[in-house]
Amino acid sequence: MYSYASRLKAMRDTKVAHTLAKREQNGYTDLDDFGTVPISEGYWVEPWYNSTNGSFYGYDGMCENFCRVLDAHEPYIDPNEMLCGRWRDMLVNYRGDLHYMPDWLKKNPKTQEFMKSATNQWSKRWDEGRFPYDHLKPLQLKYNIQTGIDGDAHFACDYRIGFELGFGGLLEKIEKYRSMNPDKKAFYDAEEKVVKAIIRFVQRHIDKLDEMIASETDEAVKANLQEMKIVCKNIRYDAPKTFHEVCQWTAIFNCASRIYTRDGAGFQLDGLLLPYYERDVKAGILDDEKAKFLIANLLLIDPHYYQISGVDENDKDMTNHLSYLILEAADSINIATNLTVRVHENCDKEFMKKAVYYLLKNKNGWPRFCNDKALAEGYMRNNGVDKKTARERIAVGCNWMCVPGKEFPMNDTVKVNVAKVLEEALKDMRSEGTYSTERLFELWQEHLKVAVDVTAAGINLHLDHIWEVTPELVMNLMMKNTIERGEDISQCAELYTVGIDGAGLAVVADSFGALEARVEEEKLLTWEQMYEALDNDFADERTRLILNSAPKYCQGGTVSDEWAKRLTDAWVRIVKAQPMPENRQLVPGWFSWARTIEYGSNVGATPNGRKAKAPISHGANPNPHFRTDGAPTAQANGIASVQCGYGNTAPLQIEFDPKLAADEKGIDTVLQLIESHFKQGGTLININILDKEKLLEANENPDLHPDLVVRVTGFTAYFASLSPQFRQLVVDRFLTGI
Amino acid sequence: MINGIVADIQRASVHDGPGIRTTIFLKGCPLHCAWCHNPECIDFEPQTMYYPEKCIGCGLCNEGCFSGAKVICGREMTVEEVVKQVLLDKDYYGTDGGVTFSGGEPLAQREFLSALIDACKEQGIHCAVETSLIYFNEEIFRKIDLVMADLKIWDDKLHKKYTGVSNGAIKEHFRKLNEMNIPVIARTPVIPEISQGIEQISEFLKKLSNVRKYELLPYHPLGSAKREALGIEPDGFTIPSAEYMKGLEKYVFIRE
Repeated sequence: MYSYASRLKAMRDTKVAHTLAKREQNGYTDLDDFGTVPISEGYWVEPWYNSTNGSFYGYDGMCENFCRVLDAHEPYIDPNEMLCGRWRDMLVNYRGDLHYMPDWLKKNPKTQEFMKSATNQWSKRWDEGRFPYDHLKPLQLKYNIQTGIDGDAHFACDYRIGFELGFGGLLEKIEKYRSMNPDKKAFYDAEEKVVKAIIRFVQRHIDKLDEMIASETDEAVKANLQEMKIVCKNIRYDAPKTFHEVCQWTAIFNCASRIYTRDGAGFQLDGLLLPYYERDVKAGILDDEKAKFLIANLLLIDPHYYQISGVDENDKDMTNHLSYLILEAADSINIATNLTVRVHENCDKEFMKKAVYYLLKNKNGWPRFCNDKALAEGYMRNNGVDKKTARERIAVGCNWMCVPGKEFPMNDTVKVNVAKVLEEALKDMRSEGTYSTERLFELWQEHLKVAVDVTAAGINLHLDHIWEVTPELVMNLMMKNTIERGEDISQCAELYTVGIDGAGLAVVADSFGALEARVEEEKLLTWEQMYEALDNDFADERTRLILNSAPKYCQGGTVSDEWAKRLTDAWVRIVKAQPMPENRQLVPGWFSWARTIEYGSNVGATPNGRKAKAPISHGANPNPHFRTDGAPTAQANGIASVQCGYGNTAPLQIEFDPKLAADEKGIDTVLQLIESHFKQGGTLININILDKEKLLEANENPDLHPDLVVRVTGFTAYFASLSPQFRQLVVDRFLTGI
Repeated sequence: MINGIVADIQRASVHDGPGIRTTIFLKGCPLHCAWCHNPECIDFEPQTMYYPEKCIGCGLCNEGCFSGAKVICGREMTVEEVVKQVLLDKDYYGTDGGVTFSGGEPLAQREFLSALIDACKEQGIHCAVETSLIYFNEEIFRKIDLVMADLKIWDDKLHKKYTGVSNGAIKEHFRKLNEMNIPVIARTPVIPEISQGIEQISEFLKKLSNVRKYELLPYHPLGSAKREALGIEPDGFTIPSAEYMKGLEKYVFIRE
């Protein structure tokens, strides 16, 4: 049998096998799956280092190493699939960032030898020799700031540029503007080599397909391989013309951008692919079954964040037949998928119901939902943003939105640990010797101002020099102004609305709440006793429980709920007041990404009864066990009240087992939750509807359910690939939400 | 001001009536169902529930327990205090959801319940009640939006044995609700160890045109931990098997 259904099943089985094999090669990874496949036997890249510090930077450094890594990538063709191409390895691995370096590379004897012979600076993503920031480091460390300096390329391409030109057209465009900007030779040389490397990558797939076709005996499989070959040949140089070709072109580009530095983002999937779908259906060369298979295949190749549905600049519903097919396609393969449904009151209600149906039916964390109104109206409050631009800003990342082709937001790469800021404020208040929550709040704000100021300095350093360190050679191809001017996107973006997230809101809000309730009002503890308890990390459990049992953020109408709002107001005010040069502006949000364990490890005991080094709270979420009933409505109310209001998110992350079937009642209930939270101004909802027994079983033995997917934070991951510590964190969050 | 004793308030309840609801558990019930999954709601007075596994052994019980080992179930609340909690989720009720008064037997605190319904209705909130129908209060049934009522065992002797009261009044109250044409969702908790006469119950309910739906709710042991915390012996009942429930499927019905 070689039916679509049997092929999808085989593809899914292969995905599960890859997940387990990658865990074998890489160890546990508390990250997005990224769609990578295991490293093949004998794979090796000899990096080219152009810096005396033993790393590589700039146009030539990035270009040469990109070509080496891409050239080392074997073609990936599964005869069950219709699209080819996968990625395995990325450039940043060769800059020795130990945080991300996979085990297979660390274990490689050649790498070990290189590590010995290199300088003692092993993590060299940023060229500190040329662009030092030692003067910023003490404060960055003090406030546990994720600086964004050489952070991931979190922005989005305008795929229309690539779809229109194809790789050949991009080469021609490079040539055209090269002659107009003779002083930008290094830029154009690098861009040209990058495109040529991608074309070689396509050619290798064609060659491999030739070999496979020659030895294939099954006629149906052979026909499929032949079709794949024609598609690859057509898109090797020319612009994609059919639905199949545009999916294959996207898959190839995404492989290339991922290899670059895990780069890239999706697009409005049901919008950009629609003309190709309609044209092919009309021409009689595409039916819905094939279209769904191709979409499922594309989703399998890379779990990029794609947005579907939503409204256009005139508030007109953009849901179309393809939007439905995309959901059906995602259902047919049912893997880790990052589809975000854009919700607006004008959107097709039936479509929303269908989206919720799949969430309930598959319990695999997809789709997620974002709120057009809050996001668009919020974004328009920034300088120079009109409604059309705000509508173009789509969900393409964990917690983040971006205007494809135009914006350079650094979203999700810059964070301030506000729990660490609280620790500093507590120290100051102690040395002053006069205690009150009001004074503590003043001190917290003073420290926060310093933290935001030093964060801004880091952001500006990044924006000023990233083009000399890590220019975005692949994504530049589909951005506005880049090829035209011979400049990296970091230099010529139309919008620099730079995201800065606060992490640890609930820890700080509950700490203020506990101090006000237990120390100031009820006088169950003195300030001195509280400080002593922090010093000895709650040696007396009763003292800890007195503080920890105080009313919490998200319980509803509590003292800590009020503090969460005050903290948010202060956070937004301080971030927006931060002066930025040129056309740059900061945009506040609440988000921790998957760094709650890491951030927590840097913070001592806190007055909410949190022990030293315990994880901080997740994103805008309450602390675990915030209510005995774990009511998602309580959580949703609380999170709606701490939105920052400038178009970036404070996501509602819910995991629960509502014991609801995927029937009308279940769908209506979950949809009610989504719509109500959005009416209240919520921005983004990540829902994990999980099966309690399955989750607990998988926590004991992950291999029992290697296909179990959980939405860890913005991204989804295979539960079996997460570290035991991280799995427990997900389980703890879940147990709160039952 | 009218006060009542509230055992618990549960938000985002999706199994106590339509939509998303807040369930108010009123304390006290004249029935003593052997399988009761809310045993802490039987007594009308506040009670201490003890969870020894949470005790940290500080020896300072009299100065307040913060570990969750000793929990007082039942607190006196005003109508305003309860309504304030109900209003927290008002945005989430939509057109179907709202508040459900449960227990215990909510009609046992008749005045408090009546005042709560008035206050909630004033805020435009849909009100439902879960009742044993041991009491009948026309005023309450007239103004409530939805009645969910149990008929637990058909045979009166068995009913008395397992609940402590006769079911004569309950059957009578079902008939009276029918005469008043007040829609009812009827339910029976399914306890495999008891001959409940579900067929007869179903036949009886089919004759009442106001019964919109008849549901069977399989026994679940969620009350076990609470029984232990109250120092009550385990009830000894078991969860009905899927097969057992399937065999009873023919007795349930829905009327559009």
